[in-house]
Amino acid sequence: MRRTARVSVAALAVTTLALTACGRSDDTGTGQPESTPISGGPATGTVTVWAMGTEGEALGDFVQEFTAQNPDVDVQVTAVPWDAAHDKIATAIAAGEVPDVSMIGTTWMGEFAATGALDATPDGVVDPEAFFPGAWDSTQVGGTSYGVPWYVETRLLYVNTALAEQAGVSPTPTTWEELTDLAKGLQQAGAEWGINLQPGETGSWQTFLPFAWQAGAQITDDDGTQITLDTPEMVKALEYYQSFFTDGVAPTELPEGDLEPGFVDGRIGAFVSGPWHIGLLEETGGAGFMDGVTLAPMPVDAQPASFIGGSNLAVFSESQNRDAAWKLVQWLSEPDVQAEWYRTTSDLPAVESSWDQGDLADDPRLAVFGEQMDTAVAPPSIPNWEQIATVIDTELEKVTKSGEDAQQAATTMQQQAEQIGTGL
Amino acid sequence: MAATVTAGPRVHGRRTTAPAATTGSAARPRRSSPLRRRRSLVAWGLAAPFVVLFLVFTAWPVLSSLLMSVTDLRSRDLRNPFAVNVVGFDNFATVLTDPAFHTAALNTLYFVVVGVPLTMLLALAVAVALNTGITRLAGFFRVGYYLPVVTSIVAVAVVWRFLLRPDNGLINEVLGWFGISGPDWLGSTTWAMPSLIAMAAWRSMGTLVVIFLAGLQSVPKTLHEAAALDGANAWQRLTRVTLPTIRPTLLFGGVITGIGFLQFFEEPFVMTQGGPLGSTMSVAYLVYNTFGFGNYGIAAAMSYVLFVAIVLLTVLQFRLLGEHDGRHRRRRHPATTAPAAPAPAPAAGTAGLAGTPGVAVPRGGVR
Repeated sequence: MRRTARVSVAALAVTTLALTACGRSDDTGTGQPESTPISGGPATGTVTVWAMGTEGEALGDFVQEFTAQNPDVDVQVTAVPWDAAHDKIATAIAAGEVPDVSMIGTTWMGEFAATGALDATPDGVVDPEAFFPGAWDSTQVGGTSYGVPWYVETRLLYVNTALAEQAGVSPTPTTWEELTDLAKGLQQAGAEWGINLQPGETGSWQTFLPFAWQAGAQITDDDGTQITLDTPEMVKALEYYQSFFTDGVAPTELPEGDLEPGFVDGRIGAFVSGPWHIGLLEETGGAGFMDGVTLAPMPVDAQPASFIGGSNLAVFSESQNRDAAWKLVQWLSEPDVQAEWYRTTSDLPAVESSWDQGDLADDPRLAVFGEQMDTAVAPPSIPNWEQIATVIDTELEKVTKSGEDAQQAATTMQQQAEQIGTGL
Repeated sequence: MAATVTAGPRVHGRRTTAPAATTGSAARPRRSSPLRRRRSLVAWGLAAPFVVLFLVFTAWPVLSSLLMSVTDLRSRDLRNPFAVNVVGFDNFATVLTDPAFHTAALNTLYFVVVGVPLTMLLALAVAVALNTGITRLAGFFRVGYYLPVVTSIVAVAVVWRFLLRPDNGLINEVLGWFGISGPDWLGSTTWAMPSLIAMAAWRSMGTLVVIFLAGLQSVPKTLHEAAALDGANAWQRLTRVTLPTIRPTLLFGGVITGIGFLQFFEEPFVMTQGGPLGSTMSVAYLVYNTFGFGNYGIAAAMSYVLFVAIVLLTVLQFRLLGEHDGRHRRRRHPATTAPAAPAPAPAAGTAGLAGTPGVAVPRGGVR
């Protein structure tokens, strides 16, 4: 008995000590990171890179040209599955066992930069002006850039051209009214649903926010410190989005995997999606199906806007070979390399001038994506973005499915997002 | 840079000190001969592999999560997990006042209150049928009912999503033959949860059938014969003889099903992502999301609330079906036994003995 008591006292003492050792230091937020410039000359040593999906598989061979230019460098690429990537990076940061470079999904930037694990982009590595503005914005956390855009994607309208002609409406709507007319026209021309817009659930914010940005709404103020979801512009966009569902033009529930066959059969007249749907539609509808599809830029209200997604490349501050790591990132951001990377993986270049060459310049479909990219907007890179995005998803679902008042939804979004905070 | 996510150097400290400290105290002069000392050394040596694994992979994570639940640890603190503030029970207060948690708790309660009895009744019915009626193809049916348990939830989910499709799903197609137009099962806030309960019951039934079968086969034939001689019909024999006899088996089945169902996660994760409109969001799923958002402190607090709920449910089940209740009955029975049903008295008397084989079935957890 006495022994147990002694052990408990000891355990208690240790715990108390451990707990009193806890406590945040006074400095708030990410502080003022210094960006030390990188050295000149060729890259040397070993550079470990983590990349996800197709990029992870293709990058290993792709960097041979870089190693040819820098004979003393050894680039080791680890392919990480997308599903495991977030946790793997978080674990690596916690354990201090980070790679030198990692591909980072644009919406993760805020979260990982806030841990202090990412190295601020040194001056002179890349020219911020060279990238699409939306893409560069996605690297900025609290006013500092923590990486370099690698590839981008944006969303356009896919419209069934034949149905639009039959209905006598323009397949390239320029305003909100025209988009409504188009969707209604497509439905009258025989489509079960005029347009498919994601009615809430995971990721629906990516379809909705372009309309909010078009109306002039912003998610946070310019510093990224105040959340501004409850604004007249946001309410206007919510009302507009809702109108497609109250008019019965858009489905509130589309069974999974029904979009592509539905669009090919003419049951769905139009939808909003990214460049990957070109491939998916040709797979479902056969080669040449895309000839009957109009790719239209997103409509314009107060201003043009679409969603920009993609991935960035970031160097970890605990990298053992920081200079070489940044040199690799620098090389991957060169316009010619970006264009070559497009030929390898079909990833759209984040560097604007890469779009002047080859397929990227000639393909009319890609041109529409390239054009939209100029006005595409990235969600704010704040640490709590993923959580705030779920709040938007949830409220959006209430607006589309149970007819919640748009103002009510905006108020709830604001209230919940404020409770979560930006995390900066 | 000690870590919470991966085991850090602290763990190794524990690994070496824990057995050493205990052997040291065993070596105290009082009450310990050299033989005793050697025996306890050997004992600890034999137990060491388990003790080390337990401390590193069970005790330490549990302790970490407990500490986590009283701090404001977030994903941004990953690099300095000890540089956080102790917030006491603030996280628990946040969790218990969070409307999202309330919704998730009610959904989970709905799932458990409907799902557990439903699964147990179905499993019992199948087990009784297999035990008494079907003898020739018993093996085939046993495999059939157990198959869903060993099938991957991902594959199952794909099939169930096809079954539940609103337009051309098998279920609505069959309902259509009778002129019923079935709902959009997974897309309706009313029907999504019942659909998941049906799927969970189908998935979890197999283990219970096996457990109940083992219990049923331990019911002595003589009891049934005696009851039958006394004029008890089949239903009376089931409720007065069989069920009281397999009561400990029922308890075991109820407890593991209850624990599994309270941790309701896979079905909404693969079928509905918690939707539509949050109607299938469970507590475990919410914990998963909260961890994903990097709110480790709040997520840990939430999982401890779930843990307490599981303990309470288990205690409740022990109260309702437990052994002491049986003893209580045994004392009362002679007075209440009606001449028509003399069986319950001996049945209750053998409950403790007869129940053991049922419990001896390997526990894999129902789900």
